[in-house]
Amino acid sequence: MALPESVGHQPSGTPEGHGGRVVPVYALTGGRTRSATGADMPVETLVTVTPAGRRAGELHLEYRATVELAARPISVVEIGAALRVPVGVARVLVSDLVDSGYLAVHLPPSVEGGPTPEILERLLEGLRARSH
Amino acid sequence: MHGHTEPDDLIPLKVLIAGGFGVGKTTLVRSLSEIPPLLTEQAMTAASIGVDESDMVPTKTTTTVAMDFGRITVDESLILYLFGTPGQSRFWFMWDELARGAVGAVVLVDLRRIDDCFPAIDFFENRRLPFVVGVNRFPGADEYDADTVRDALALSPDCPLVWMDARDPDSSRESLVRLVEHALARTTMARAG
Repeated sequence: MALPESVGHQPSGTPEGHGGRVVPVYALTGGRTRSATGADMPVETLVTVTPAGRRAGELHLEYRATVELAARPISVVEIGAALRVPVGVARVLVSDLVDSGYLAVHLPPSVEGGPTPEILERLLEGLRARSH
Repeated sequence: MHGHTEPDDLIPLKVLIAGGFGVGKTTLVRSLSEIPPLLTEQAMTAASIGVDESDMVPTKTTTTVAMDFGRITVDESLILYLFGTPGQSRFWFMWDELARGAVGAVVLVDLRRIDDCFPAIDFFENRRLPFVVGVNRFPGADEYDADTVRDALALSPDCPLVWMDARDPDSSRESLVRLVEHALARTTMARAG
């Protein structure tokens, strides 16, 4: 699968600010806050790194950080918070990395109508098990 | 469109924590979450607020709404996210996105400012999303009995009403348990009927 141009490392000599961001994330994501593959990706969508992602070479800062965060299952909204970018930007980062084969996504069970009784039963069991 | 999804999959779930300003939403998220509650920012243009989220483009008028959330790893593959919804009604387009596919909602009520929770109750009733009403134990909360509160909130008889302390993890978790029981009963009923 072709690597989106923006994912790969480009030796641009971009200065990284300390704390502040010199290059707006919108520039990094090509001005997109919604991407073709991720426009409807719910914020709780979980992502995990793929074997290809573990072997990934040099990536742009935010992409590399996203792949590292996904070493354990993590949601799009958590990635946004960890990188201090709006959720829309996190969606774009994740979508690009999914397109590159570096991340796998795990979507919510049912977008309309809510989770099935079977899943709700598991949730209930899990929550009850946590009480003392 | 999303490749690499494995059959034995991780399942993200979400519950919304709603209610008026200062009613204890962040406190509830904090007492339940295994991670420190995080803030996320949702960018939008001032012009797009309440109009059409899909037209969002970053411009100089971009503003952000902070929304806090937490996480509970329920079992090896179920992960539950808690979202404290922004209180102001002009951010309801965000609620729509959050409500889609949600298990349900906990609507927190401060009996001293009971009106503050009406918009949230209306919202979830209109969207037929299961919710429980949690009376957060502020001073004076014990002075009312359940019937009085139900009447004041015009709650349907099947909607659970719980007295709780959002600072207490066990009490907070119990309100989640009640919500999931309620959601399960409704789903099972819908399937049967």
